[in-house]
Amino acid sequence: MGSQRRTVVAVLLVLAALAAGPLAACTVVDEPAAADWDHSAERALSDMASEVGSARLALDTARRERLWPPYALVLVTEAEEAAGTVEEDLSRLQVPPQREQQAEQVLDLLAVAVTTVSEARSRAVEGRYDDPALLDRMERLASRLTGEAGRYASG
Amino acid sequence: MKRYFAVLLGVLTAIGGFVDIGDLVTNAQVGARFGWSLVWIVVLGVVGICVFAEMSGRIAAVSHRATFDLVRERLGPRMGLLNLVGSMLVTLLTFIAEIGGVALALQLVSSVHHVLLVPFVAVAVWIVLWRAKFSSIENVLGLLGLTLIGFAVALWQLGPDWSEMVATLSPAEKPAGESWATYAFFGVALFGAAMTPYEVFFFSSGGVEERWTSKDIGVMRANVFIGFPLGGVLSVAIAGCAAVVFLPQGIVVESLGQVGLPVAVALGKIGLAVVVLGFFAATFGAACETGLSVGYSLAQYVGFQWGKFVRPTEAAGFHVVLLVVTVLAAGVLLTGVDPIMVTEVSVVFSAIALPLTYFPILVVANDPDYLGEHSNGWFANALGIFYLVVITVVSLAAIPLMVVTSMGQG
Repeated sequence: MGSQRRTVVAVLLVLAALAAGPLAACTVVDEPAAADWDHSAERALSDMASEVGSARLALDTARRERLWPPYALVLVTEAEEAAGTVEEDLSRLQVPPQREQQAEQVLDLLAVAVTTVSEARSRAVEGRYDDPALLDRMERLASRLTGEAGRYASG
Repeated sequence: MKRYFAVLLGVLTAIGGFVDIGDLVTNAQVGARFGWSLVWIVVLGVVGICVFAEMSGRIAAVSHRATFDLVRERLGPRMGLLNLVGSMLVTLLTFIAEIGGVALALQLVSSVHHVLLVPFVAVAVWIVLWRAKFSSIENVLGLLGLTLIGFAVALWQLGPDWSEMVATLSPAEKPAGESWATYAFFGVALFGAAMTPYEVFFFSSGGVEERWTSKDIGVMRANVFIGFPLGGVLSVAIAGCAAVVFLPQGIVVESLGQVGLPVAVALGKIGLAVVVLGFFAATFGAACETGLSVGYSLAQYVGFQWGKFVRPTEAAGFHVVLLVVTVLAAGVLLTGVDPIMVTEVSVVFSAIALPLTYFPILVVANDPDYLGEHSNGWFANALGIFYLVVITVVSLAAIPLMVVTSMGQG
């Protein structure tokens, strides 16, 4: 009888211990850390700079007739898809309260980059590579993205 | 004269056949992110593959049996099974990546999405595996793979500052923005790409297919010690092109199209066409080699009749395995998985499986019962043991580095 009771108590204690873990995890959910968000922002900005730079290089090489059209189109399409993924990944993250303003600015900049790379893809589809204004805009955008990424990297 | 021709052909096909999708992607990624600071890993990997390919070629030439035919006999079925499972899974993963690589190469000239091309590529690979002669696969695709020399020409044309390049060869010249963990992860991936296990499966089984004897050891050594290092030069040229064009602009390499872009910048459409032909030949050739390697290793373990030196009806089990793995590879790629991601995973898992592949080779190459007077000398053993230590460290470090760096994301 006594041993049965001890077994029941032991089982209850084990069950309580097992339940305590998830319950504790629920109660200790904290707000996201600003440093983690900064790291994600830095990565998103530098990845986006890479996509803009890649699309620009493809367009510029095609403009100088050193790249055949299907190849240029594949490169710019891949850059557009990757740019969309970068923006989506960062926008899905919960923003810490002290980074709300920065998050808005970063997401706006990423949205501009996505639109610009989409514009580059439209040019590639149409076979109109000779657009110095677009190339110039992409170059400045890539520099700005890299600069912003550096700002978040240095904290 | 015939012998000189055989040496020349062997060396040329070894150069052209050295690079595969793993080398193409990993070298370009590393060049774009780390410049020249990881070139020493390519040198380390090329010397390593030379050491073990020479041993496995010698085993095939003297014993007339492929390496893994002997592993089960020499080390027992349990060790043989461990070896089979580890090495074969990595080779299968590489096979999937290579078929994806062929589809990506065709996408670059057609702009048709690679997933739509996968079934056609798989059928073409299977027909070649079924119908083509072993020597035709090796020679035609190996010689076409030589067109990747376009990367070396492009690098010369891009005109990097050679003195600055030499100054940045040291690991200490790693870009400041990259962590040491990421540097080590890409070092592991590069080493795994250079020492891919299927290369020795294919090399030793190929020796049996071509009926090498002890008299062929000289030709085999010429292929390994001249062809493989020159193939390694192509790997360095791919990394160099990416370092010159992408690193200053902060562009990260994520696709096969980007790998060829520096060649277009340097040489224009004709240079690019030559290199894209090289992409096709390198990936198609490696798809055939990895497909055959899966069939070889399974058939050699189980004891089926294997090889292309016998008619398909006499090696039915072997050909069924080739068909099944080709269908499996196509099925995986048709899910829409990114072939570049499969490549990245395959080179890391190659690094993990290295001891399973190379330890048994060292054991068998030391056994006088199989190799007699041709068993390893002190120098081969010293190199073999040194590399065994290196590959064990690399293998143990691979998974922690993969987790810590999120597959090199930083």
